[in-house]
Amino acid sequence: MPTIKKILIANRGEIACRILRTLDRMAIPGAVVCHAVDKFSPAVRMAAEAVEIDGPTPVAAYLDVEQIIDACRQTGADAVHPGFGFLAENAGFAKRLSEEGITFIGPLPETIELMGNKVAARTFCIDNDFPLAPSVTEADAGEDFAGQAGDIGVPLLIKAAAGGGGKGMQIVEELEDLAQAIQLAKGEAQRAFGNGEVYAERYVERPRHIEVQVIADHHGNVVHLGERECSIQRRFQKIIEESPAPGLDPDLRARICATAVEISRKTGYRNAGTVEFILAPDGEFYFLEMNTRLQVEHPVTEMVTGLDLVEMQIRVARGETLPLTQGQVQVDGHAIELRLYAEDPQNDFLPDTGPLLTYRMPSGDAVRVENGFCEGMTVSSAFDPMLAKLIVHGKDRGQAIERGLKALKDTLVLGVTTNADYLTRILSHPAYASGRIHTGFIPKHAASLSPPPLGEAERNLLLAAAALSNREFTDPAFNVPEPYTFIGNWRN
Amino acid sequence: MQRRIDLLDEHHTVTVFGQPGEQRLQVADGEPQPVALTVDAAGHRVIQLGDQRADIQIAVKGETAYIRAFDHSFTLHIVDPVDQAAQEVGGSSNTARAPMPGTVVEITVAAGDPVTKGQSMITIESMKILTMITAPRDGEVSQVHVEPGDTFDKNAALITLREKEE
Repeated sequence: MPTIKKILIANRGEIACRILRTLDRMAIPGAVVCHAVDKFSPAVRMAAEAVEIDGPTPVAAYLDVEQIIDACRQTGADAVHPGFGFLAENAGFAKRLSEEGITFIGPLPETIELMGNKVAARTFCIDNDFPLAPSVTEADAGEDFAGQAGDIGVPLLIKAAAGGGGKGMQIVEELEDLAQAIQLAKGEAQRAFGNGEVYAERYVERPRHIEVQVIADHHGNVVHLGERECSIQRRFQKIIEESPAPGLDPDLRARICATAVEISRKTGYRNAGTVEFILAPDGEFYFLEMNTRLQVEHPVTEMVTGLDLVEMQIRVARGETLPLTQGQVQVDGHAIELRLYAEDPQNDFLPDTGPLLTYRMPSGDAVRVENGFCEGMTVSSAFDPMLAKLIVHGKDRGQAIERGLKALKDTLVLGVTTNADYLTRILSHPAYASGRIHTGFIPKHAASLSPPPLGEAERNLLLAAAALSNREFTDPAFNVPEPYTFIGNWRN
Repeated sequence: MQRRIDLLDEHHTVTVFGQPGEQRLQVADGEPQPVALTVDAAGHRVIQLGDQRADIQIAVKGETAYIRAFDHSFTLHIVDPVDQAAQEVGGSSNTARAPMPGTVVEITVAAGDPVTKGQSMITIESMKILTMITAPRDGEVSQVHVEPGDTFDKNAALITLREKEE
């Protein structure tokens, strides 16, 4: 097994910072790659070394396998941590590293390949009798795809085989809409992924998104670190995650987690991964997909188990045995992650860009902040608009919610529109507090999640503050003596 | 000094009278009231208007004020009179503008094409999210300002419409 002397992080932003903190604690030097737009980012300042990479777009630079391998040579890094996104689930990247004798901190390339294609992963589950929602693929059904999809019954979900992020997804409520929905989904899938292949799956109403963190070493040991509830989503992307899942029956929890471990064993899984499930209101659960990497929401698992997943990933990658058995995994209290985005919840969650004029993050014992920005930086359209993650821990869910609200209150971002107030309204919502959550939570409660109306006195105070902080209003040169205002304010 | 200030999609006319230190402020045609924005020893800002007051946090960039007050964040735009005049003659509704910076993915209309309100004209990508830009009203495409692969800034003109020739 390899020794790991120096690790290159093929990523940026908060996850690069998060990995660097663990490397610092383990006394392993950490290098990063960075595009010019990130030159002054906290990750670059934290890293011992940074290698500049370039590309047609900033994202393309972080996806350029050969430049990253060059950066390993330059820095002498003998291992790469891919973080999440970018090359984290790219089997070709893992293979190239292995050819160069560089350790990829993640699973084997063949596992990434198997689980990365949704149709291949489905077939694997069918062959091994893992629970899967009734479904039919275009590839299997051919000409009869619409007919066989109709046989599953409505409601149906049409999804892109190569998909993700809600692209190429259509819900069919009435069979007569099926043909059109298939056409729409294929068109969207073709545009988004360059692959129009779709499949149809039974649509579970009021589903919960429950996922299980697993970690496996190279000696055949696999443990799960409990589940995460990730049902609060907008645009099919998570914004609040927690562990444990509220109100989950202990027996059902045990079965879901055991299934995740079995799937991992069967795939010959190595390193950290997440098995995602859809949980129906009747307690049936179905395999959704496996993410063969660290996930954005991994800190909630760390908060309740007291483990450092990045450290475990590195130790496993250098051949160590898992430090604990399943029976030794303890879950203590409750953790919630709040994803702070530069976006406007009042305008269909459209991303916002701009300068971070004021940027203050909360602090405290039970709060962990994963952040890749600082005051004065600009949020650009080059990357995902996530600013930071606030993760809170409490002895129970009620206390975690309270601490989440306090953390949001202590957060101050001025210069871009953020979803901070929106997150506050979700945490304060009675349906959220009682744990009545499912992936349709946000559309279902749209009305009660919109901002409360502004009173006239409050409105006028805001207008006054804006006026008095504007240079034109305060510059005496622009002042109009009161008697003359009727002639208007146009000067020169 | 009078300006239009936009808050939560509503337009407000705000007038400030007098010299700093003894200013009064009027919202629409309401009663002008004494107004002051002060900073206390701890650096907290306080806005006072008549007998109302509030602790606020504020950052200003150009004509935009970002304010945190009453446990909420607000964005207020002070509208330049020139822009305001352009909007009032209806200039903006002829042009579909970029809601955010991004890249053009696909254009489904060409100059001369008739379009109906809500019809998809162009797909843009920003921060990995695809967004369709639709026709703001019925009409005919007068000009397409961008090509697939082009990048643009927020508010950039993408497509201009004209009245349909009957």
